[in-house]
Amino acid sequence: MTPDDPTSPTTERRPTTELIPTPHADATSAGPAPAQNQAAGHGMTLRDVHAFYGETHAVKGVNLDYAANQVTAMIGPSGCGKSTLVRCINRMHEEIPGARATGAVKLDDLDLYAPSVDVVAVRRAIGMVFQKPNPFPTMSIADNVAAGLRLAGVRGVNLKERVEQSLRGAGLWDEVKDRLGAAGISLSGGQQQRLCIARTIAVEPEVILMDEPCSALDPIATLRIEDLIHELKQRYTIVIVTHNMQQAARVADTTAFMLHGEMVEHGATEKIFSNPDDSRTEEYVTGKFG
Amino acid sequence: MTTLPPVSARRRTTDRAMRGVLLALTLAALVPLVLIVYYLVKEGIGAWSSDFFTTDPTGRFLGDPGGIKSAIFGTIYMVTLASVIAIPLGIGVALYLVEYGKNGRFANTVRYFVDVMTGVPSIVFGLFVYIVLVVAKVGGTFAAWKGAVALALLMLPVVTRASEVVLNLVPDSLREGALALGAPRWRVVLRIVLPTALPGLVTGSLLAVARAAGETAPLLFTAAFVLGTQFSPSERMNSLPLQIFNDVGQAQDRLVERAWGAALTLVLLILLLTLLARLVQRRSRLT
Amino acid sequence: MATGQGRAHFQDELRRLEEAALGGIDIVLEQLDRVLEALQHVDVELAQIVIHDDDRVDGRYLEVHQGVLSLLALQAPVAGDLRLVAALLHIIKHVERMGDQCVNIAKLIPLSGYEPPVRPEIMQRITRMGAAARSEVVQARRAFADRDVELAEDLARQDREINVLNREVFRLAIEAGDDPDTREWAMHMTMVARALERVGDNAVDIGEQCVFVVSGLFREFQNGGTRPTAVS
Repeated sequence: MTPDDPTSPTTERRPTTELIPTPHADATSAGPAPAQNQAAGHGMTLRDVHAFYGETHAVKGVNLDYAANQVTAMIGPSGCGKSTLVRCINRMHEEIPGARATGAVKLDDLDLYAPSVDVVAVRRAIGMVFQKPNPFPTMSIADNVAAGLRLAGVRGVNLKERVEQSLRGAGLWDEVKDRLGAAGISLSGGQQQRLCIARTIAVEPEVILMDEPCSALDPIATLRIEDLIHELKQRYTIVIVTHNMQQAARVADTTAFMLHGEMVEHGATEKIFSNPDDSRTEEYVTGKFG
Repeated sequence: MTTLPPVSARRRTTDRAMRGVLLALTLAALVPLVLIVYYLVKEGIGAWSSDFFTTDPTGRFLGDPGGIKSAIFGTIYMVTLASVIAIPLGIGVALYLVEYGKNGRFANTVRYFVDVMTGVPSIVFGLFVYIVLVVAKVGGTFAAWKGAVALALLMLPVVTRASEVVLNLVPDSLREGALALGAPRWRVVLRIVLPTALPGLVTGSLLAVARAAGETAPLLFTAAFVLGTQFSPSERMNSLPLQIFNDVGQAQDRLVERAWGAALTLVLLILLLTLLARLVQRRSRLT
Repeated sequence: MATGQGRAHFQDELRRLEEAALGGIDIVLEQLDRVLEALQHVDVELAQIVIHDDDRVDGRYLEVHQGVLSLLALQAPVAGDLRLVAALLHIIKHVERMGDQCVNIAKLIPLSGYEPPVRPEIMQRITRMGAAARSEVVQARRAFADRDVELAEDLARQDREINVLNREVFRLAIEAGDDPDTREWAMHMTMVARALERVGDNAVDIGEQCVFVVSGLFREFQNGGTRPTAVS
């Protein structure tokens, strides 16, 4: 799809080159920013991705597609490389000393590992929610949500509006609208995680990565966030790493199973949980692994 | 019905004996501290008067010996100057070690040297500055700013160590969260790490300041001794520790009393700084 | 990493549930044998026992049904385990149906009279149908227990024979003659034949479940073989 055709009636999504500026992007290509509702999303493609921690080969040649506006779950036993792989998507893996990744990770047609691509811009287009909620302790609720925009040096945005929009999007607005100035860490665990989600969507990414977002939460908070994910996928492409297979079954459209750094099988969630092709997948989902 | 074995009498006695021994040791350690405070107050409070704080020492052995205004002013002046040098530098080194150097060979070497510096006797710093700046006649001989430099050298490793500890306490999850939002690393450090660590950094710096305020040896051959209050950094300047040093050896009782008064003032100054450090630390969310 | 050891408690429960379902087939076999003998010798008392013992089949049905619900609620089975649990539910339903067919036959026995004017050609075919139905039930049980897909698919072929015999019995009954007693007896025999044919159908259905568990695909065994009609 051509990135610079504002008159095209089917194009409602922001072109990738506008998200992640590269030297090849046409200076006149950025048309007027389209309205909020982006009907078409952005998909991702992983080809032959390898990841290393020093000499340890943690991810071995993974090929995978993340369809736009779908939820994909990554499952597998501890140490199988699913978290590592996900961190290669937003290039957080390379922040670890001695860690490196090779292969192609593409957002639409743009290879995020190309030498001309700015790592910081990649992370603005691909947000991440972590296992343990990590609101910034020195900031209030509103400041936490706006933190992403401030840290990224984004100007010309009505912060108050964006904060409200994001808190609504995260399903937290009603609970905190009267105390936006309270400390971010004064919220409960589930609320803190939703605050982190609000913070992530405030910068308007295209893809949201979630690394076991509910492991530290009680069951009710977990279910609320799962409902939230169902809503969020209308606007974002979501990848969720989870240990909890029931969660993957409830939440994901597609499921990918990894073992020892390799992609064993991936496909429609219903198939993986009713009739998987690979016997290793069958053993894992039925819990027969030791 | 389940029964549990009763506490043996022998264990009870051992428990009590242990408590007794530790209590005794604690009291033994407290004795000199209490005595110091007692003597300070007893001997020094007599010297305190309004003149004490508002007049300079006259240098006269007979007649009015004067107060310690220049000494108080000099200590505050030189310690402030030293802090301005040492604190930003020390925090900067700590930031480098924690955020960028991490476990690299260079960073580990720096850490090692900083550790060594914390153990260097304060007189060596004074001697160093004496030879490099005073004897070499860099901008005159004795000068207040040279005293400040010697104090800064003393403070630097203390500030660095304390800051490094506090910065390490900032959870990595905060840095990760900020990086994942698409912030360049310098912004992460400036907007997230520093504000979170701030109370701890302030505490560490205040403690370093308190230490520097009480040092005599670095000032002996650098800022040297002078009677009057003067404001120029390139001239000699008085300071509380030096004033005490001079007065204590004199034959006149009034001068010795002035020394006690100055000592009491110095201890109070350090006490205030320490209390301030404590108050700031209570507001910290890390410790 | 050891495989196959996980969830030992759940695997035990699943195994026991399968044994209970297959045990249901065994009860039905007993019922079938008895009712066929009662039919041969016009043994009304034996027929009564069969009618009464249907309670055992119903009881087994309830037991397996409850077991399935319990496993679904407590153990959240997926993939192969889930297919097995679903198949067991289907199987026990077919078992219950087969039990009911045996009762239907048993109820027809006193009605056929104490000295039935037996038409040997009809009786012969009924006897053969009975043997074929019995053999199908035995084969269905073995196919499922061994997860033998070929054996399961072979049931369709056997069932064709029963269907042929059923049509023959029907044809012969129409030409039974003018004697009203004979005609009445022949009508009852067509009903017996129909019941036996239904037993065969249920056995074939159990074979379909076996294929489903193994392959994850549900194929109806049509009378001509195993033409796929529905795929899940």
